[in-house]
Amino acid sequence: MNWKLIFSRNTRHLRILVLLVVAGGGGAFFVRSQMIPADYGQNGPYRHAALAKIEAQPSVLQSDTTCLKCHTNVEEERSESPHAAVRCLHCHGNGKQHIVDATKAGEFPEHSIPPAKKWDGKFRTHTDLFITHDRATCLSCHTRVVGMPDSFLSINVAAHLEEQGAEEINSKNVCFECHEGHSPGL
Amino acid sequence: MKFQLNILNNGGDCCGSDDSREKQCGNHTGCGGCSDAPDASSRRQFLNKASTVALGSFSLTLLPMSGDLLSDEPSPDDPDGAPADAGSRTADQSDEVVYGFLVDTERCVGTGKCLTACREENNVPEGYARTWVERFVHYKDGTVQVDLVPETGFAGSDVPPIAPGLVDRAYFVPKLCNQCEDAPCNQVCPVHAAFTSPEGVELVDPDRCIGCAYCVQACPYGVRFINPETGNADKCTWCYHRIKRNETPACVEACPVDARVFGRLDDPESELRKRLAAIPTSVLKEHLGTHPKLHYVAKSGEVI
Ligand code: SF4
Ligand code: SF4
Repeated sequence: MNWKLIFSRNTRHLRILVLLVVAGGGGAFFVRSQMIPADYGQNGPYRHAALAKIEAQPSVLQSDTTCLKCHTNVEEERSESPHAAVRCLHCHGNGKQHIVDATKAGEFPEHSIPPAKKWDGKFRTHTDLFITHDRATCLSCHTRVVGMPDSFLSINVAAHLEEQGAEEINSKNVCFECHEGHSPGL
Repeated sequence: MKFQLNILNNGGDCCGSDDSREKQCGNHTGCGGCSDAPDASSRRQFLNKASTVALGSFSLTLLPMSGDLLSDEPSPDDPDGAPADAGSRTADQSDEVVYGFLVDTERCVGTGKCLTACREENNVPEGYARTWVERFVHYKDGTVQVDLVPETGFAGSDVPPIAPGLVDRAYFVPKLCNQCEDAPCNQVCPVHAAFTSPEGVELVDPDRCIGCAYCVQACPYGVRFINPETGNADKCTWCYHRIKRNETPACVEACPVDARVFGRLDDPESELRKRLAAIPTSVLKEHLGTHPKLHYVAKSGEVI
């Protein structure tokens, strides 16, 4: 090393340049460290804590396993029927509040379970548990619409009712004159 | 670091290291490049090198990667020594789960129950959708009409019915996030808010997203939107919160005809794998090379 050359007058600009580079680089590293979250890159190029936050979102829709814990007969009725793949919530709504109430009633027998609401004619998952002796429930799936696969049992309501000789054509529960919801014999 | 060193070596164009050059120049033998006065030449070379180093180090500080991602050496919090590569999902080898999705257009009956279910489950504001169902109607005169299934299904809506006599064939096509393996949405995010979970699900970090909508434009499938309530990018996550609890996504739960099948691609026993093996399937816009993990049964050529 030629120290004399390094610290001579001729290299003054160079030394200033080196200082600037060091200060600028250090500054850039500092800014960068402030802008990158601490848990960034722990598991990949993202903020690791975001996973936990997204996972924490509550589940709204209920699954059948919860319903069938109490309504044991339904599974049997349904298993052999064309509705085997149809789940409780398709016809009865989400029932979240009902599950809360029923769980409570299981612990404290004096707690009563409020009766199910009336079907509002639309599939609305936020509607808590409804009873469905209403043709609208059936027809929300089974009305014939262009685009349905041929194998799906869809009907032209008026024609079907006339064909079958339905007694009260305009009644809401006309479907249930012949069919059972859980095991609709065909 | 290699980057800087290479440039430095190229800069020393004549005789390698400083020591050897000084020695040779003292003897005035060989080495034409060093025939200038030693003082001026070394200053010029030094300036060359110094400016290269300066530029190099500046560009390195601007790279948006943390230090341990740059090296392949095992870092303290990654004892397996798996290279934590930005593009690979092998960082978490221990529990590698890969999810897949199958949509059967031959089964879908277009009742729209999945649409409401998704809206309720994920709090999607009215007028926006994480999943939607298209109806393709091929008329006998050769025209093809595509319309959007309302949430009540066509039966419960006031859309005038189409006369079946005019129709050659018609079918429903549910759409949702393809969870692409090479997701363009993920690649364009300037703040790394669009990211891939260890299970290969594309997610949005709600605290990090700045709502710039870059990803909305990048997604070739039109799956993303800016949620007006949160100001963040929003998209179908295959109900990440549900699948992590071993529940099925809301739309799968709400489908009465099993037109939507969700499962694990890494488990040969899963229903998904069995159905994928049994029937020919295809993906949307395969030529874009996004490698979707959403597969379609009986996808007609018109569907994109
Ligand atoms: S479908 Fe769009 S939003 Fe989903 S992963 Fe692919 S590019 Fe991203
Ligand atoms: S909108 Fe959010 S997630 Fe999308 S690119 Fe911009 S910052 Fe990233």
